Amino acid sequence: MNNLSESPFLRKQTMGREGGRTWLIAKKEVMANVRNFKTPLALVTMTLLLLISAHVLALDYRNRLNNWSVNQIRQRDPAIGGSVMYELYDGSFSHREGAGRTPPIQPPQPFSAIVKGMDGEMDRIVSVSQRIVFGARQGEPATSALFDPPDTSFVMKLLVSLFALMFSLDTITREKETGTLRAMLAQPIRRWELILYKSLGASISLLAPLAIAFTCEIVYLHLAHGLISNREDISRVLLIFCLASLYGVVFVQIGLFISTITTRTKTAATTALLAWATIVLVLPNAAVLMAKLLTPTPSYNQLNARLYEARKSVIQKESGSPPTTRALPEGPVSRQALPRLFEIERQLTDDYLASKKDQNRQAKIFAALSPAGALTFGLSDISSTGVDAYNSYLELFRSGRDVMLDALKRRFELPPQAGDKLVREAREMVANKHRRAELLGASFRSSLISITSLFIWAVLLGLLACWRFKRYDVR
Amino acid sequence: MFRTTFRRELLEAISSSTLISALVVLTILVPLSAYIQARYYQRVFENYAIRQSIHQTENSSQAMVLLRPLPPLLPFFNGAYDSLPDEFRLRSDSATTNPPSGDLTPLDWLFPKIDLSFIIGVLMTLLTILLTHDTVAGDREKGTLKLILAGPIHRRTILAAKLTGVILLITIILILTVLLYTIVVTGFSGGTVELSVANLSVLALLIVVSLLVLIVIAALGVVISASVRSSLVSLAISTSIWIIAVLILPSLGPYIASSFKMVSTFEAAQRDIDLKEKELMQEELSEHRKIAADLKAQQIGVESAWQRFLELRRRWMERRNEEIGRLVKERKKLIRDQQDFARRISLFSPYVAFKVVLGSLCDTGVENYDEFLVAVELYRQQEFLPESFDLLSRQKPWLNAANPDDRLQLRPLQAPSPDLSERQTAAAWPLSILIAEMIILIIVGVLRFERYDVR
Repeated sequence: MNNLSESPFLRKQTMGREGGRTWLIAKKEVMANVRNFKTPLALVTMTLLLLISAHVLALDYRNRLNNWSVNQIRQRDPAIGGSVMYELYDGSFSHREGAGRTPPIQPPQPFSAIVKGMDGEMDRIVSVSQRIVFGARQGEPATSALFDPPDTSFVMKLLVSLFALMFSLDTITREKETGTLRAMLAQPIRRWELILYKSLGASISLLAPLAIAFTCEIVYLHLAHGLISNREDISRVLLIFCLASLYGVVFVQIGLFISTITTRTKTAATTALLAWATIVLVLPNAAVLMAKLLTPTPSYNQLNARLYEARKSVIQKESGSPPTTRALPEGPVSRQALPRLFEIERQLTDDYLASKKDQNRQAKIFAALSPAGALTFGLSDISSTGVDAYNSYLELFRSGRDVMLDALKRRFELPPQAGDKLVREAREMVANKHRRAELLGASFRSSLISITSLFIWAVLLGLLACWRFKRYDVR
Repeated sequence: MFRTTFRRELLEAISSSTLISALVVLTILVPLSAYIQARYYQRVFENYAIRQSIHQTENSSQAMVLLRPLPPLLPFFNGAYDSLPDEFRLRSDSATTNPPSGDLTPLDWLFPKIDLSFIIGVLMTLLTILLTHDTVAGDREKGTLKLILAGPIHRRTILAAKLTGVILLITIILILTVLLYTIVVTGFSGGTVELSVANLSVLALLIVVSLLVLIVIAALGVVISASVRSSLVSLAISTSIWIIAVLILPSLGPYIASSFKMVSTFEAAQRDIDLKEKELMQEELSEHRKIAADLKAQQIGVESAWQRFLELRRRWMERRNEEIGRLVKERKKLIRDQQDFARRISLFSPYVAFKVVLGSLCDTGVENYDEFLVAVELYRQQEFLPESFDLLSRQKPWLNAANPDDRLQLRPLQAPSPDLSERQTAAAWPLSILIAEMIILIIVGVLRFERYDVR
């Protein structure tokens, strides 16, 4: 036997035959899944749910776009105001009334129809002057506050993982239960090859329906809503598909691993379901909770309270009076004290924004350690609705605020009219600054951590499954 | 025989690896989430006091900010509380109550908070499915069903024994979970969550409602188990139903509703209101100008001119309130229609019904928010506007002597805090759906098992 296999000619021949046989394993796996209606079931379910999700989220996106464009119109609505003087022979009083302009909101991202991510958080009026005032969030249906948005990322997170487990968890146990495993292992084939080609077969059975369903969704979004139109969008879509398939492959490996540690399909199924719930529903949420625990950020109201305290102390220091509870903090701050107040306010706001950004980043790193968290953050990064997009959204206001502060400080060095003009121009400029979608390269770079994490998971779990299967008891 | 079957079912469930691994997950997750929720609530609580004191000094005769009172059981069920504004600015020269600011919570969009409702509604329902899916089909596969049925015993007694066994086990786990959660929350919240009689009775009700949901799910598992031959198929079917009912349908419901029942966007509605308000403002100003000129021509003293001015102001304020109030009310009605529609298409999901009931129990539901908005509007019309007008009418602006204390001295907003019986009536509709589901599923389960083919 040894001599035979050492002969190069024969070795080549056996390799060829082996290759054919191993491919046969994958092919058989795929065909079996088609015949016992698993693949058709996956195809129908995924297509249906992805289409429904695309439909409702595209409408949601349109609604938000509409909201934004009305806000743009509102910017041009005239501000009105006026005062009436009641002048009488023994005294006079005046009456003033006025309504100003609304601050702008930022436009929604087109890809939020596929992965909504943190985009809904940005549907708010933000006014930028020496302070950044975030308005309340608007425009979501209130009942949806209780549950996740049903976007493509949500559907994929649940279904791709579940179907991956369905395709892979009985590959070994079923063969064992029907007794074909012995026959198969009697063939000249290595055990790791068997696992490899089994996982290949399961992956193909999973990814083919996913590809069809996702294509249907994209075609629908393109035809009905005109959303994915240029080359960059298509590359983003391809990246989304790649990430989702990587996620699917990770779960195929998990299924195989579970199949190698159990002896019966039924036990494998319950174990897989528990593992699924833990990995998909619990781990990422728990990771985000941990990140929140480790990097606590002050709330917006706390920031407001600190700003208020700062203003109060500046006024008190200026007037020289001892601090009293009834001091009126909204009294005017003198011109000399203003730059100092601005500086304190700027410091406090910057600290607040920095801590928010830090928390987001930390949550992303924590969550990327688990496959489902990596998928959610990765998909939102690719769609430019993720952590980095949100942080640059915060950065936009920070830089706008700096421009405003600069103008407000320089105003005092100028004659009154020129100073007012300067401030008005700065305000105009800041209001017209819109956030843009991140460049494709930047999106890809920010999703790299998720891709790497998923890849490592797939390889590790694959190796683990091979290692377990090597000592698997065939009887 | 009942007791033997019951005991056997119980022992089988206890010794299963499913239960042990689920318990491991629960014992890690429950204290963790309770701890985080408790710390979070403590922070919210401290913030609340700070905000209240700030707003009290900021209130003037023209404007004030109303805060939504904190729900006492927020750490148990976050509900819609965090994602809806809880501050409202009332202004004497505007008929709208717009929230002035909102917190930034981007991470909640990707992963909703884990609280008790998630642990019970998602994890424990899945555990129930895993424990019940093989009650009948599993016994048939093992061949023990034949032996059990050979005894002198009704089939429905066997089914009752099996179901009772599982439910008893789940009840024990549920009570332990709630107990652990409560202990951790009260221990780490720095005294902000107190176990008063009212809170404890709400918690007791919470356990009852959770149990109802879990019984519905258990009955579902038994029905499916008694309808198919193999426990693997039973597991597949009941898991798919669970995923649709617990994870997918609740998420889709509101979005489907908003795509069927369109409501104008926030900014569009706000623009309508703004334009109307500006139009009214222009009219009022022009009338003021006319009257001012008239008064000057008639050589009237400033005191009586002030009275004329006040009368005019009151008339316009009422008109503005009426016209803007109509616009606001129309939109609110449309939104409520949308919400009702969303509820109608997803309420048969036990998880949605559970969250609705919990919301009305813990004061964090969407309905409670609507009630709060109604209370804000009432407060504005009955307390704020008359008081601020009163303050205005007492002023004498022509004397050039600023009133030193021109602040509103109003009682704080009394939250619409319904007592327990009112809360129960609010939760009656989802509760009755849950009970109906339970009864139907149990009857169907008994009927299916009566004609189950044992071979």
